[in-house]
Amino acid sequence: MNFKEFQNQSRLYVIGALETEELEEFEKARKKFGKKAEDYIGECYGLHEAFALSLRPAKSSDGIKDRLMAMVRARKEV
Amino acid sequence: MRVTKSRTRPFSVTPQLEPGAPSDLELMKAIQAEDPDALSQLYDRYNGILKALILRVIHNEAEADDLLQEIFMEIWNQAKNFSSQKGKPLGWMVTLARRRAIDGLRKKQAYARAEERLQNETEQQPDAWVHNSTEEEIVLSDTRSLIRQVISGLPPAQQEAIDLAFFRGMSQREIAAKTNTPLGTVKTRLELGLKKIYDGLKELKGEL
Repeated sequence: MNFKEFQNQSRLYVIGALETEELEEFEKARKKFGKKAEDYIGECYGLHEAFALSLRPAKSSDGIKDRLMAMVRARKEV
Repeated sequence: MRVTKSRTRPFSVTPQLEPGAPSDLELMKAIQAEDPDALSQLYDRYNGILKALILRVIHNEAEADDLLQEIFMEIWNQAKNFSSQKGKPLGWMVTLARRRAIDGLRKKQAYARAEERLQNETEQQPDAWVHNSTEEEIVLSDTRSLIRQVISGLPPAQQEAIDLAFFRGMSQREIAAKTNTPLGTVKTRLELGLKKIYDGLKELKGEL
């Protein structure tokens, strides 16, 4: 696998769309390309952020934040 | 549209903050130091985005609210594992939320129910990627609007394949079966679509 093919596969990898047999090849190439590969994969995770930001924010129930903060404060006191 | 080429820097599409507001990274560092107020601020900033993401996966308001609470609790508990070397706080939170939402969907074996709801909601939901032509009717933030321009520029079949992979956690084979499309075609759609989005976001970086 050359680096261009690895870039293609990386974009599939970060969204979990590689099939098992492709994952093996991908991991081999990942080792072969080392830091360059890790940097590129890290960059591809920006896609997650973008997909989430493409959605219109949804309203959460009013009580959630209060419950969450009560749990956090209780855990902190333990 | 102004286009800047920046091939070497990682892109981020994080929305702009009010002047003087702490950055996401500052809030994450404060959470790592166990400051509940920082979590409170992060919640205010991103609960809507994460809820939308969860809802897109599981299509159930009450379950999405429960999961949202669990995810912010996990953000609090797992904050020490966050490293700014590996990415931005929002990317980390979205990755975590997506994984939890897809796990939740699988655990509850709710595929059939979600499918039914998805079908109903795709017809009603203005936010669906595929066949969404009413964008001008919706007031969108600049960031969202720009990202959606990139996504909506894809052919519907590519949007659908990416949507099923990202928001439903489907493998290529599952997408092929669901859409009655050859596996090779699904792979090509995903590859082309993701490359276009990736390249488009790189170009948009200068605008955000």
